[in-house]
Amino acid sequence: MARYGMVIDTRKCVGCYACRVSCQMQNELPVEESYIQFYEKETGVFPNVKNEFVPVQCQHCEDAPCESVCPTKATYTTKDGIVLVDAEKCIGCKYCMVACHYGARTQDHKTGVVEKCRFCAELVAEGKQPACVTTCISNARIFGDLDDPNSEVSKAIVKWNAQPLRADLGSAKIYYVR
Amino acid sequence: MLDTKLSRRGFIKASAATAALASAGTAGFNQWSNNYVKAGGKAEIKEIASTCNACSSKCGMIGHIKNGRLWKLTGHPDHPYSKGKLCARGHGYATVVYSEDRLTQPLKRVGEGKFEPITWEKAYEEIAAKLNKIIKEFGPQSVALTEDPRATGKFYSPRFINALGSANYYTHHVVCSNARDAGFLHTVGVTATSADISNAKYIMFIGRSYGDGIRPSSVQSLATAKDNGAKIVIVDPRLNNTGNLATEWLAIRPGTDLALVLAMSHVLIKESLHDLEFIRNYTMGFEEYAKELRKYTPEWAEGITGIPADSITRIAVDMGKAKPKALIEQSWRGAFGCNYENSTETGRAVAMFNALLGNYQQKGGSIFGGKVNLGKLDEKKYPNPGEPDEPQAGSKQFPLAYKGSGVATIVAKEALEGKMKAAIYYHSNAALGYGNPKVMKEALSKMDLVVAIDVQMSETALLAHYVLPEVTYIERDEVIEGLSGKIPGIALRQQMVEKVHPQTKPVHEIYTELARACGVGQYFNFTLDDLNEAMLAPTGITYKELKEKGTIMFPDQEITLGEMPELKTPSGKIEYYSETYKAAGFKPIVEWIEPKVSPANDSFRLITGKQAIHSHTQTANIPILMQITKDYDLERIWINPARAKVLGIKDGDLVEVKSSEAVSKIRVKVTERIHPEAIFVPSHYGITSKDLKTGYGIGFGYMEHVPFDFEKWSGSGNIHEVIVNVRKVKS
Repeated sequence: MARYGMVIDTRKCVGCYACRVSCQMQNELPVEESYIQFYEKETGVFPNVKNEFVPVQCQHCEDAPCESVCPTKATYTTKDGIVLVDAEKCIGCKYCMVACHYGARTQDHKTGVVEKCRFCAELVAEGKQPACVTTCISNARIFGDLDDPNSEVSKAIVKWNAQPLRADLGSAKIYYVR
Repeated sequence: MLDTKLSRRGFIKASAATAALASAGTAGFNQWSNNYVKAGGKAEIKEIASTCNACSSKCGMIGHIKNGRLWKLTGHPDHPYSKGKLCARGHGYATVVYSEDRLTQPLKRVGEGKFEPITWEKAYEEIAAKLNKIIKEFGPQSVALTEDPRATGKFYSPRFINALGSANYYTHHVVCSNARDAGFLHTVGVTATSADISNAKYIMFIGRSYGDGIRPSSVQSLATAKDNGAKIVIVDPRLNNTGNLATEWLAIRPGTDLALVLAMSHVLIKESLHDLEFIRNYTMGFEEYAKELRKYTPEWAEGITGIPADSITRIAVDMGKAKPKALIEQSWRGAFGCNYENSTETGRAVAMFNALLGNYQQKGGSIFGGKVNLGKLDEKKYPNPGEPDEPQAGSKQFPLAYKGSGVATIVAKEALEGKMKAAIYYHSNAALGYGNPKVMKEALSKMDLVVAIDVQMSETALLAHYVLPEVTYIERDEVIEGLSGKIPGIALRQQMVEKVHPQTKPVHEIYTELARACGVGQYFNFTLDDLNEAMLAPTGITYKELKEKGTIMFPDQEITLGEMPELKTPSGKIEYYSETYKAAGFKPIVEWIEPKVSPANDSFRLITGKQAIHSHTQTANIPILMQITKDYDLERIWINPARAKVLGIKDGDLVEVKSSEAVSKIRVKVTERIHPEAIFVPSHYGITSKDLKTGYGIGFGYMEHVPFDFEKWSGSGNIHEVIVNVRKVKS
């Protein structure tokens, strides 16, 4: 049993959207639907300027608010810490979309089912990495077992003091280096 | 909502395998994933190694084919450009195979923008008759062929035009790297070096952005260099997306990069930080060059570039101290690609600066890559048309331009002059991308025959008399591609899925059949497999093995760092003084050249560049990529807040952009990331072909504002020599 999580090093992210497109193809999503959103933060005045790209997707929160508000228990957390949606149980009520602090959920406009990043659970089950991690061109994303202190992801969190995007909103399993 | 929800459920239940997966909610993760794997077992998934076509890098990739349909792609782990990764366009462009806007059958133009289907046989017959008539009447130099080269095109296209007796083969480089190529070629003997980025300690990029014009392995190398503490300086009028990986941004006045490089070279020599031993052993003409450089002080450059003299001195000194693990990266289409009247000279100055650092063939420096020795077709069995007698059109006016690329816009110029009568465009949207579209349209309309070979109805295809539909790169095998680098290799593009449209053909077939119709079929009496087998013969690799692996590297042929290869310059040395330049009527020593135009206080220079999700205008019609543009308003132009304020422009406002050539309306992004003197427009938009339904009408084409022009040295397009005025308009 593992507790899967991710590090996103925004100091390396060049805002190339490779993760978004790779994710869409992996999950066979319609082009208008993406599990990853991008925020840009520009600071400073010309010519002393910095720009940061922050890719945001489901943070796979511990005690996920989306899970606790779900009236049908369609949203659930696996033993390995991955938050998933059971399409069979989802009634499309959108409570989870409101509850999510990160706006990470989207609704399939054809089926009404609410979906989101699944850490590519089926790839992880095969011992592979999520599609966004595999394709990240600057190695800004690291995925692995947060409970294993020797995993790359755990080492990176310690080395760079990576923090959840909003630690004040509860414990998430994606850590950002900024 | 309820109805659609129910229909989704109905759909799910109809599939037993998927139902097992969907009901796994309470079964725990391992059980769930086992079920998933079992469910997946129903789908037949094949993996086929090939190469990408979303840009000129042609990265290695693996296609994952689910039940005969392309599902997704992953980067080929062995390919030196992808190293297991693909960029957004690499993933997304592949969906072109299923595009609703594909060309599906040969077409003949019967009126402006009006086409009728024609059979392949009839199309070949008519094209051949016209070509032969034109050649008979005006000579073979009145026909030309232009392409954005890929592996098959690189072999077949020049062979085809040569078979017709013409040397008029051109590539898109006239608006890409022509200037850099000429500057490098006449200095170090190759059109481009590569760079050992991951081992470098000090890296300067001029106008080049690894995070925008992406080759995944380059970005990985840069991230590694950063992890290792390298200094990374970006010289660009805009803070491009590589900014995050940089340690410093020099917000240079556009068009003045040459002054910066000359001043940095001045500092290296003045501070005796140049590599004297390297210069003595491998260069010529250094004394005259050093003498010329005396006047290019950092203070002089500050006045031109806007970069403080102190910064210029500090960076040059630090690079000198870090040598040979310091370099100015060789760029591509960046600031010394095709942008300014001084771009060829900037390329030359950069190649010379790197020689001052003695970084050629050094760890962390500039690299002359090695190549795998590939075989050729047996000429006794397969006759080669050989070099035509008449020289390539444009080669007299632009003798410094690299002949392998030529000056593609000379075709348009000579068409307007009535000299060029026929043009074939393969995988090339010259009418929109190579020169001012109005001029290009006029030129193409004047020719007796224009043939476009493409997968979609591009603006060029719309102007063609005949449009020949090619299969996409997902549906075809290609010629073997040689990969030059520290470790050389080979890669193969292969068919992943069955042809979607039965009437489309791969280009090698089109050339072979058209050659037969033209009466020069004897030069194409081989199959693609014959050619690939012949190429592979000296390598000891079998075709079968290459097909399985897709990419094969030759680590035993790794170049030896520290050993300079034989240089292909006339002197065999790096040339600080060029007799070739002198013979062509140019100054043999590099010097400061003013940009052709300069903005006034109330106007701007229009500059362009790439975005990570698009490639030229080729990807503008790909829904999965264009959606990103729409979601994040990426088609907007960039303007500096100080200038925007004066003009009363706020972020998101609609403005009018007016140049000597055109007027466009577009929304603005107000950002501190852009030099006050410049307006940045991404180069991927402004599709005017209504057949391209996704791309049509989004953004504006910067080329509409670019006067049709040739840079004096390399003939390149001077695409940044454009002045515009901007004013707010009502939306």
